[in-house]
Formats: sequence, C-alpha cells, structure tokens
Amino acid sequence: MMDVFQDLLNYYGQNAWYVWEQFYKQFLMSAYGVLFGAIVGIPIGIFIAHHNRLSPWVISLANIIQTIPALAMLGVLMLVMGLGPNTVVFALFLYSLLPIIKNTYTGIRNVDPAMLESGKGMGMTRLQVLRMVELPLSLSVIMAGLRTALVITIGVATIGTFIGAGGLGDIIIRGTNVSDGTTIILAGAIPTALMAIIADAVMGWFEKRLAPSTRLKKNPANQV
Amino acid sequence: MNQTLKKTKRVITILILSLSFILGACSLPGLSGAPENTIRIGTLNTTESQIMGQVVKQLIEHETDLEVVLVNNLGSSIVQHQAMLDKQVDITATRYTGTDLSGALGMEPVNDPDEAMKIVQKEFKERWDQTWFDSYGFDNTYAFTVTKELAEKYGLEKVSDLADVAGELRFGVDNSWIHREGDGYQGFVETYGFEFPKIYPMQIGLVYEALANDEMDVVLAYSSDGRIAAFNLKILEDDKKFFPPYDTSLVARNEVLREHPELEGILNKLVGTIDTAKMQKMNYEADGEKREPAVVAQKFLEEHHYFEGVE
Amino acid sequence: MVNLLDFLSVNGIELIVKTWEHIYISLIAIFLGIIVAVPLGVLLTRVPKIANFILGLLNVLQTIPSFAILALFIPLLGIGLVPAIVALFLYSLMPILRNTFIGIRDVKKDLIEAGIGMGMTEWERIRLVEIPLATPVIMSGIRLATVFLIGWATLASYIGAGGLGDYIFSGMNLYKPEYILAGAIPVTLLALVTDLFLGKVETLVTPKGIRKSKAV
Repeated sequence: MMDVFQDLLNYYGQNAWYVWEQFYKQFLMSAYGVLFGAIVGIPIGIFIAHHNRLSPWVISLANIIQTIPALAMLGVLMLVMGLGPNTVVFALFLYSLLPIIKNTYTGIRNVDPAMLESGKGMGMTRLQVLRMVELPLSLSVIMAGLRTALVITIGVATIGTFIGAGGLGDIIIRGTNVSDGTTIILAGAIPTALMAIIADAVMGWFEKRLAPSTRLKKNPANQV
Repeated sequence: MNQTLKKTKRVITILILSLSFILGACSLPGLSGAPENTIRIGTLNTTESQIMGQVVKQLIEHETDLEVVLVNNLGSSIVQHQAMLDKQVDITATRYTGTDLSGALGMEPVNDPDEAMKIVQKEFKERWDQTWFDSYGFDNTYAFTVTKELAEKYGLEKVSDLADVAGELRFGVDNSWIHREGDGYQGFVETYGFEFPKIYPMQIGLVYEALANDEMDVVLAYSSDGRIAAFNLKILEDDKKFFPPYDTSLVARNEVLREHPELEGILNKLVGTIDTAKMQKMNYEADGEKREPAVVAQKFLEEHHYFEGVE
Repeated sequence: MVNLLDFLSVNGIELIVKTWEHIYISLIAIFLGIIVAVPLGVLLTRVPKIANFILGLLNVLQTIPSFAILALFIPLLGIGLVPAIVALFLYSLMPILRNTFIGIRDVKKDLIEAGIGMGMTEWERIRLVEIPLATPVIMSGIRLATVFLIGWATLASYIGAGGLGDYIFSGMNLYKPEYILAGAIPVTLLALVTDLFLGKVETLVTPKGIRKSKAV
C-alpha cells in the first residue's frame, strides 16, 4: 500500500504539468458540453413549461437520448463528425439536455401561481414575468440540473480518450496498456474522481445559495 | 396542438443540427485552434507512438507559432492510415515500413529494409500525396532475445547461431506468433531450418521478465521495448532476414506541408536521431519509470537543444 | 448498407452471442445489486443517523465516473468477467440503496402505526406494509440502475468481459464502421427496450391511488 502511495507521489512529481494539461482539457470539454446544453436546454425548458401539452414529447425525446449508452453514442458520432474533442463536446451537449430541460421545466412549473398573478397584476409583460418572477424563483432548481449535467459530462468525457479527444482517460488507458501500470491507472483515475466530486460540491453550493429562501433572507428588500 | 408540436419539433431539430455543424467546423477556445493554424498528430495507443508524437508536437511548438494537437489512442495502423486519408490528422508519428507495405499498400512483403523504405516512400507520394519521411533510426520488429550471459556462453550473435543449441533452450513466445502466417513459426522453421522442441506460449508482455528471471532461455520480443535495455538483454541479428523490416518514420500529408513550408525542415531534423537503443531507453523511462510520454519527449528535446542550428 | 447486411449474414450468430453476454453481465450485476441493496436499505432506515452519513458518502461516490471505477478494478481483480460484474454491481448499489432507503423512510407514519396496532412484528411490518408501499420508488431505482448498467457494460469489454462493446471497440480499432454500428445499435435498442419495459413494470407496481399524483 505504502509502495503504491510512494509510487503515486513519484508519478505526480514527474508528470505534474501533463496531468494538469489533461485535467484542464477534460474539464473544458465538460464545461462546453453543459454550456451548450444550457443555451439550448433552458429555453426549451421554459417553452414547454408554458406549453405543457408538449412537455411529455420533449422530455421523452431527451430521455431517449439519455438512454443511449455513452460508448455507442461516441462511436457513432465519431463516424459522422470525426475524431477529437469537438465530437465529444457534441455528445456531452446531448447528454446535458435531459437534466437541464427537465429541471428548467419543473422549476418554472413549480412557481407559485400567486406570484405569477401578482406579476401580471402589476402590468408585467410575458417577458418581464419570465425575467423577474419565474427565472429567479427557479434558479436553484435549474442550477441543480446544471449540476447533474456537469457530473454526467465529466463521466462521459473520461471515455472521450477512445476517440482521440485526450483528457485524463488517456492516462488511465496508458496504465492499462503497460505491464504493472497500477500506479498510472490510479494516477489518472484519482484526479478524474476528484474533478467530479469537486464540481458536484461547488455546484451544490451555488444551488443552495440560489434557493429563494436564502436569497430573500439575505436581501429583505427583494421581497417580490 | 398539432401545429405547435410540429413547429417545436422543427425548431429543436434545426437547433441541434446547426449546433453540430458549428461544433464540427469551428474551434473551441482551449480545445482546438483554428483549423488553418492547427497541426493534428495521430498516435497509436502504444507508449512508443505517444513518445514520438509528443516529440514531434513539442518540436513544432518550439519552432513555430502553430498550435499542435495530439489525436491519441488510434487503434491500429489501419486507423492511422484512414485518419490521414480522411484528413482528420495531418501527421502520423509512428508508421512502420513492414506494416504499411502489406497493410495500406497491399503489396507482397519485402525483406530488404532499404528497398522497403524506397517502396513506401514512392507509393505514399504517388497514391496519396503523403510524404513518408526517412526513419528516425530505429525499428520495432520481432527479435530473438537472450541474456548477455547466454550469448557469451554459446557465442550467440545471430539467429543462425541458435541452430546448434536450440534443442536445449526453453523458448518463450507470444501465442499468436506460433500460428501466424508468413512470418510466424512455420515460416521461421522453413527459413532457418531448425526447430525449438521446447516452446512455451505466453503473453507478449511477460517474455521480458521471464528471460531476465531465467525462466526462459530465449524469447521472441519486440525490439524497441524498454525492458530489453533495462534488463540488459541481447538481441540476436536476423541474419537470414526472415522478419520484414519495421523501420519507423513519421508520415505527413503534403497538403499541410505545402501550407506550412517551414514544417518539412523541422520534421527532417528528427531523421536518424533515435537508434534502437535510445528508443528502448525512452520506452523504459515511460513504462518502467512511470514518466508520461510528454515528459520523456521534453527531456529528449532538451538534451538535443530542440535541434536548433541543425539542418 | 451492403456492408451491414454482409456483416449480419456472416456474423449473425456471434451478434446474438455477444448480445446475450451483454444481457448476462448486466442481469447478474443488477440481481446482485438488488439482493444486497434492498435489505441494506431497509436496515439503514432503522439507524437514521448513520444512514444519512452513508447516503452522503454514496452520493459522493456516485459522482465518480464509471470508467475510472472500472479501471481501478483492473489492478485489484484483474481482467475478465468477474471484475466487470463486481464493478457494475457496486455501481448499481447506489441508486437502489438510496431509493430503497428513501422509499421506506417516506412510508407514512400512520400506516406503520396501523401495522403496529394490528399486532404485526417488525418483520411483518417490513414485509406487509413498508416494502409494498415503497415498491414504486424502489422499482424506480432498479430501473435507473439497470438502464445505466446496460450502458456501461459496453465498457466491460475493454477489460475482457465480452458483450456488445467488443464490436464497438473492434470497429474503432480496425476502422470498420459496420462493427461500430453492429455494437452501437443493438446495445442502444437493448437499453431503450429495457427502460420501456421496466417503466411499465414500475407503473404496474404503483398502487392506483398513488399513480395519479406522480409528477413527470
């Protein structure tokens, strides 16, 4: 055990900049995936929240995408879009859709109708209601969706190595190819796990901070 | 309801399609630079390939403003070749004459290394407008390997020298080689005219330790593996040239060489700079001493001062 | 297209074998997951303080990418069927355990009271009140875990466990698009069909009274 630990320290000592490079690359891919997922998913979520009859269809579609096994998705996308990180980012975008759309939908649907009424009563336009009532109140739930999406994308990005996208998966794979590569496998797997755990924790913190009760408490003047 | 549903479906489809096009074509900051300014190097999932890929990458980055990206873990030479044809990579870091002669070119194996090199260079240029550079200086082929002690004891320099003592030697070999056509065991017996009565099939990765631990007397290994140097083993010369040559070079697409004329000179600097012993050593640094290929490559380039001032 | 048909005629039997291998790996892992996680979940409801800690821990563990966990098992258990099943089984524990715990914990107190009032022993309460009422939630966890496993079992072939991932990897390594499709399409269909089927099962085991109030 101590042996492996010593080996690991040795490894990180020698290879720190390379590990960081791959860590950064993988995180960037995941972040882009969630970003695009949010750009497309949040508007869709809002839309189906206001046109509820459409919601089962859209959410089912997103569900189907979610059910596609990651390796299969990457394999097929590779045939169409080629090797490299861009293809992985597109796959990550697809996998971000369900959590983001669903959470946006739920968040907005759960806004207290009384709030909506008072907004309309004050003469707000649809857009203003969205911007000043619905979104602020759903922020926390939407953030939860982004959080789930980020954890999922980090997981899928790990196998991006199979289509030449780099990332910490490269290190893990090299470890499996080398005889006595345990140290290398660990050296790749540990930062991967940490990335996911930390991302989850940080996003979780944001989620709590954005919860309506917290925000109202902080700024009593903000009472809607 | 039908109207809205249709409209929604269309909007979503358009959104997703346009995104995929944008993503496919454009560059995401931090992940991949603008296509005109990026060189992509394809590497296999072998340590050797990744080391050479990193050497080429870091050399180009050092000498130019180009961004260089590695497309790693390509599964085989076939994938490398296809990726070049599809223009998904611009350079492939490790190509082996023997492999691509029969693979990509579909020709009969040629035993003379110089002839093999001439053929691949000519054919790759004519068929696909690619330049097969001269070798780095090492090859990665099947090699009959013994310990230095045994070589001294029986005066072994060449594979033919094994003929007299083969009866007493335990021969460790990769399972698939026994049944391999062409350059497998059958072919070997025909060419060299002697057999190994005591054959022990095993996983290729295990032959090096087996030899070093005196569990085997002679093994068939890969010539550039780091453990040969690390365990102080000796490769016997393939005097009857039974195994096809597997000299290692990089191959580049001429289109990219034309777009960036400075590249050819830079890439040529690597020709003849790494002999088999050196490659073994670098492989061992990566696998045995657990250094990432990127780090091994950096050390190599620094030792040679990035070949500055070399023509 | 021609390639695909060619492929099917030559490799039809192998495809069936690989599909079966895939189902086999996933089923065993999920089955083990159920028989370990459900009792464990029930147990945890009896010790709420520890339970919260353990659940927190499991939540954290669940964020770890599956491939990292799979790879970690290689040095521990080697390659092949066993390590693959073990890794997948561990991954299935979390959703099932969590859902069992939450499902049972949320069974309304008054119903348990009623059970006690009727003279049920603890074991009888678990068997006749708690588990039946928690079944929808438990089933939901099982469904999630199963679909998840089918997806990640594709990676099991990387460590020599067989399954449809073999085709995908071969296709990627040898540049044979038809192999990639031969692996990707069946495994996707498998996942979708399983999700659909287990979704129906989930609806079936939900007592009618609760069904309507279930949100999306």
